[in-house]
Amino acid sequence: MDSRLANTWRLTVNEKKFIETALASDLRIDGRKPLEYRKLTINFGRQVSVPIFRPFFFFFSCWVLSVMEDGSADVQLGHTHVMGFVSSQLVQPYRERPNEGTMSIFTEFSPMADPSFELGRPGESAIELGRIIDRGLRESRAVDMESLCVLAGKLVWAIRIDLHILDNGGNLVDAANVAALAALLTFRRPECSLGGENGQEVVVHPPEAKDPLPLIVHHLPIAVTFGFFSTEYTMVVDPTHSEEAVMGGRMTVTVNASGDICAIQKAGGVGVPQSEIMRCLRLASDKAESITKNIKDAVEAFNTERMLRKIKRHSTAVAANVSIENDVKGQKDKLAGQRVNESSMSQMERLKLKPDESSISQNDGLGSETRSSDQISSQRAEGNAPLFLGGPSSWDPHTHGVDPDFLKASLAAQGKSNPKAEQSSEDSDDDVAMQEKDASEDVKPPSLATDSSETVEEQKTSIVKKTLKDAVKPKNRRRKKTRS
Amino acid sequence: MMMETDRKDGRTPNQPRMLSCSRNILHRAHGSASWSRGETKVLAAVYGPKAGTKKNEDPEKACIEVIWKPKTGQIGKAEKECEMIMKKTIQSICLLTVNPNTTTSVVVQVVNDDGALLPCAINAACAALVDAGIPMKHLAVAICCCVAEEGSVVLDPTKLEEQQMRGFAYLVFPNSALSALPKGSSLVDGEPLEHGIITSVTHGVMSVDEYLRCVGRGRAACAKLSDVLRRSLQKSE
Repeated sequence: MDSRLANTWRLTVNEKKFIETALASDLRIDGRKPLEYRKLTINFGRQVSVPIFRPFFFFFSCWVLSVMEDGSADVQLGHTHVMGFVSSQLVQPYRERPNEGTMSIFTEFSPMADPSFELGRPGESAIELGRIIDRGLRESRAVDMESLCVLAGKLVWAIRIDLHILDNGGNLVDAANVAALAALLTFRRPECSLGGENGQEVVVHPPEAKDPLPLIVHHLPIAVTFGFFSTEYTMVVDPTHSEEAVMGGRMTVTVNASGDICAIQKAGGVGVPQSEIMRCLRLASDKAESITKNIKDAVEAFNTERMLRKIKRHSTAVAANVSIENDVKGQKDKLAGQRVNESSMSQMERLKLKPDESSISQNDGLGSETRSSDQISSQRAEGNAPLFLGGPSSWDPHTHGVDPDFLKASLAAQGKSNPKAEQSSEDSDDDVAMQEKDASEDVKPPSLATDSSETVEEQKTSIVKKTLKDAVKPKNRRRKKTRS
Repeated sequence: MMMETDRKDGRTPNQPRMLSCSRNILHRAHGSASWSRGETKVLAAVYGPKAGTKKNEDPEKACIEVIWKPKTGQIGKAEKECEMIMKKTIQSICLLTVNPNTTTSVVVQVVNDDGALLPCAINAACAALVDAGIPMKHLAVAICCCVAEEGSVVLDPTKLEEQQMRGFAYLVFPNSALSALPKGSSLVDGEPLEHGIITSVTHGVMSVDEYLRCVGRGRAACAKLSDVLRRSLQKSE
């Protein structure tokens, strides 16, 4: 496309004057103070946006689905929207560095972000952005490269970070940096082990077999951008798009929460006195602390959810609305377990807990006991199915959960066999899963509603909400019994 | 009650995945929409009529330009093919003579691909065009139907299912029109408008009967989908 066609948006002289005059009285056009940062929102994985239609047809449901994917982050800084994806691959290392993994950053200024962004070769600002983020991560040794080495000199992990700029509301560097960091923190690479003769063969374990490992990130370098205006040494933090069009110069400081400066970028622009620069560095340190806390909180919340999800995968639990097919049996059904999140009304007729029950029986061999519980549970299934036609609220994360008393009663009613069955199915899982369960036992997730309900006893959509404690406790007791 | 095929996630063969659509999510773009089917999610943005057409385009009509951005990796031939299919589909639903000698660009970003990606993208682009206010004759609704080994038709496959099935078809139908005109006037050759196929892309092997069955099933599913789409677009005005 012709650039003259694309640049249809230009600030008028009046708008420029207005922005500068307002700044002289310490006012910014979006109402912020000159040193105020915009609101930062970090989302992980692919979160489907809130649905907007009611289920007139039971083909379509209106539940909020949040499926989490490792290594993808969605950051919104005011109007600026950036998505980061991290992926990994086994490659040969560089000759000079046979013991280290590699990391590369690809930034895409998508034409959807700004009418002036064009497809094709990245422009100067795209390259500059990529370089700033790269320097911040690589040269400050934020990500541990040596732990990515698999076979020295032969095979190492190459981490690739893709940053997609979706909406340009100003200050792309900061937002993209946060997206890269958030994606790196939640990324999990597959575990691999050496095998074969001489230990020269590398076996990569799929996520179902062995849990993937996180990257080792030593510290978080946060980029803070300042805008300088040609009038009176005015300075603003986190400029918006209109301010960027007016400002005379910019400086980006990459600093981590302990106050170490990782990188400073000031490429030309209006001259700024030394004292101002020092002031900027101090401000950047402060901002970096709060942003680091923001990122860490978001990552914590995501990791908690992921642990819960893992537990669901290992337990042969059924979401009331989803029928588990026969191939759910055994441990290969982790994928299906994830599918469990997708459901619709019509599933209610197909509550098939029998395969679920029978998979438990396979695991622990308590044949007769579990079979009897099969009947109980399937009767329950049939009995309660009619309750749920036409009511999507059972999947709505904002409905209130079931009261724990009812859950305990149902637990007791089904007798020992079920929990025992679950226990042994747990036993056959990785130790890692058990540790995670122990760790998360303290967590009471209200967000559990969005995930499929666990445990065999729960066959009804009404019992979707079950606190983790109810689910986990009996199992732990069982574990000790069966193990000892 | 035996189903023809037991699907991994427990859906019946005739059941599409959970749908979610939202409009006006980007601030700079003139129109934007995100569309997701189960785990497949696509984001589309539209920049409204810009002056001038591209080199070999007809200056007496509006030109549509589609840019497809994959999730990771370089843009290759597969992406170019998707761009071309989408461009032709959108050209047939837009009123091209309203703004001659202009270019409207549609940018599609793949957020996640879990089967039936192209239909998802077409639906997202359609919603984004509505959000941008581009004049159109009618909307387009797209669906993916695949043919299993034994010849049964399955709707809206996931990526795994797509790879396992014998063949699949992406079908795009026009949205049914709510019109004040008397019923018979919008018929084309005696058949209502929404029975026509705007676009059909097939992969794999299937017999003529199987294809026609796919079309029949797809059309029924799209009829429901177009109602839901219309309702959602009207509601969020």
